[in-house]
Amino acid sequence: MLIQAVNLQKVYQMGPVRVEALKDASFQIEEGEFVAIIGPSGSGKSTLMHILGCLDQPTAGRYFLEGQDVSAVSDDKLAEIRNKKIGFVFQQFNLLPKATILQNVCVPLIYGGIRGRRRQLKLAEQALEMVGLGNRVHHRPNEISGGQKQRVAIARALINNPSLILADEPTGNLDTKTGKEIMNIFRQLNKEGHTIIMVTHDQEIADQARRVIQIRDGLVQKDEVIA
Amino acid sequence: MIWEILRMAVDSLTVNKLRSFLSMLGIIIGVGAVIAIVSVGSGAQSQVTSQISQLGSNLITISPGIRRGRSGRISFTATDVFTMELAEQIQRNCPSVGLIMPNLQTSGLLIAGSTNYQTQVVGVTPAYQQIYDFYPARGQFITEEHETSATNVMVLGSGLAQELFPDTDPLGKTVKLFVRNRHLLFVVVGVMEEKGTGAWGNIENQAFIPASVLMKKINNRKYVNGYTAQAVSATAAKAAVGEIEYFLTRYMGDPEKFRVTSQEQLLETISQVTGTLSLMLGGIAGISLLVGGIGIMNIMLVSVTERTREIGIRKALGAKSRHIMVQFIIEALAMSGLGGLIGIGLGWLGAAGVAKIGGWPLVVTHGSVLVAFSFSLLVGLFFGIYPARKASKLDPVIALSYE
Repeated sequence: MLIQAVNLQKVYQMGPVRVEALKDASFQIEEGEFVAIIGPSGSGKSTLMHILGCLDQPTAGRYFLEGQDVSAVSDDKLAEIRNKKIGFVFQQFNLLPKATILQNVCVPLIYGGIRGRRRQLKLAEQALEMVGLGNRVHHRPNEISGGQKQRVAIARALINNPSLILADEPTGNLDTKTGKEIMNIFRQLNKEGHTIIMVTHDQEIADQARRVIQIRDGLVQKDEVIA
Repeated sequence: MIWEILRMAVDSLTVNKLRSFLSMLGIIIGVGAVIAIVSVGSGAQSQVTSQISQLGSNLITISPGIRRGRSGRISFTATDVFTMELAEQIQRNCPSVGLIMPNLQTSGLLIAGSTNYQTQVVGVTPAYQQIYDFYPARGQFITEEHETSATNVMVLGSGLAQELFPDTDPLGKTVKLFVRNRHLLFVVVGVMEEKGTGAWGNIENQAFIPASVLMKKINNRKYVNGYTAQAVSATAAKAAVGEIEYFLTRYMGDPEKFRVTSQEQLLETISQVTGTLSLMLGGIAGISLLVGGIGIMNIMLVSVTERTREIGIRKALGAKSRHIMVQFIIEALAMSGLGGLIGIGLGWLGAAGVAKIGGWPLVVTHGSVLVAFSFSLLVGLFFGIYPARKASKLDPVIALSYE
C-alpha cells in the first residue's frame, strides 16, 4: 500500500474564526494507481493535496506514505520526503525563471545530495528527452510555451524517481489541445508504472484517471473506480 | 552542494547588477576609506618621523623651564642659567652624552654686493656638524680656532648661497650682517650641502657663524637659549636624559629651571598624535561600514520578499531550511565580500594618489587590508543572518501561493 489516509483533519485558526478545511478524509491508494481528486473550490482538495504532498501536516488523523507515518515528523524530514518520494507538477508550472531549463530540472538532484555536476546534467538531459525537450535545454522558461513549461515540470518531477507524482490542476493554464498532450504524458507514465494523484475541479480531466475521489466540504463524498 | 549554492547566489546577484552595486556601495566606501585613511596616516607618520631623524640622531634638547608665578610673582622663563661653561660641565659629568652645543640664534639682514636677504643666523660650534649630520659641501665649517678666537667667518646654507651669490663663487667673499643697529663684516669660508626641506622650515637658507661671535659681538650676553646634546649611541639616549637631569638638578638646586626632552620622546608624542588621529578617522570609516551593512540587510529583505515564490518552489523540491539559509547568507557575503574587494582597490588607489601628492612612501599594510576585508565579511554575515532566517522560516504552502 502506497498511501493510507486515516481520518485526516485540518483546521486553520484565522484570528477568532476557526476554519475546518478538511473534516474527515480516509482512503487508501495502491502503487500504480491513477487517481483524480476532484471537488469545487473551497472543498478542501488543495488542503488535502498539501498534506499528501508533505507540504503541510494534518491537525488530526494520520497519514502513512509507504508505511511511514509522516503526520508528525520534523520539517527537515518532510523536505527530505518531498525530495525523494514526491514529484510535483503545478498549475503555475513553478519553474525558476532565472535558471535554464536544464538547471531547473537539476534542482531536486542538488537538494537530494546527488554529487557531481556532470552526472546531474546527464540525468537532467535524459529526463528532458523523455518529455520530448532534449533540444531546448539551454532556454529559459520565458522562452518556451506553456505546454513545454509543463513538460519541463514533469521532467523535474520525475528526476529523483519518486514513488508518487502529485499534479495540481496540471492543465489549468493550458489550452485544450496542449492539455490533452499533457494528459497523454500522464497516462503514459501511469502505464509505465508511476503512481499519479491529480487534483482538479474539471470533470472532463478527472474522467481520464482510473479512479476518482470526490471531495466536498472537507469530506470524501464519493470514491469510485472508473475503468 | 555548497558550490552549487554559491553559483546560484552569484547568478542572482548578476540579475540585478545595478541594485547589487548600489547596496555594495556602502561597504565599498567604508572599506576604501579605512584603507586610504590608515595608509595616509602611516605614510604621513613615516614622513614626519624620517624628517625628524634626518635632523640628526639621538638628539636631546635642554631648554629653560618655566617658573610658576606664586604669591604675586609673575611666571617667567628662566633665561639666565645656561652658559658655555655649563655645557662643558654637562659633557664632563654625564658619560652618556657624546656631544653638546649651545642653542643660539638671531635674525639678521645679510648684504652681499647689491643683494640683501633677511634670514636666520645660527651661532654654532664644530660639534654642530656631527649632531645634526649636516656638513659643508664646499670650503670648511666653523672650526675650533674660529670659535676660540671669535673670528668673523660665516658658512652659508646652499639656498642662501644661491640667493646672495647667484652667479659667483661665494667662497672668500665678504658678507655684511645687520642685527639691531650693529653691522659686522664676515668672510664666507664654506657652503653647506643640500638637505631638503626639514620639519622645521627651510634649513637651507640659514647662515652659520661661531657661537662666540654671536655671544660677544652681537648679543653681549654670556647666556645661551639652551643646549642640544647627542647621546653616545641610540641606546644611551634614555640614560643621557637621566644623567643630565640629575646633574642639572644638583647644579641648580631647582628642577623647574630647565627641561630635558629627547628626540625619542618627541617621536613618541608625534606617533601618539597621528595614531589617535588615524583611529578616530578609522572609526568614522567604520561607521560607514556599519551603514553599508544596514544597506545590505535592507536589500536582502527586499530580495527575500520578492523571491518568496522561488523559496516555496525550492522547498517543495526538497530544500531544507538550512539550504535556504545558506543560500541567502552566501548572497549577502558575496555582496559584502565583493564590495570589500572593490573598496580595497579604490582605497589603495586613493592612498597612492595622496602619497604621490604628499611625497611620502605608499604604505598599505597587509594587516589593514586583512582587517578591512574580514570586517566587511563580518558585516555581510551579521546583516545577512536576519533576512536569511526569515527566508528559511517561510511556510512552503504560503510561499508557493505568493503572487
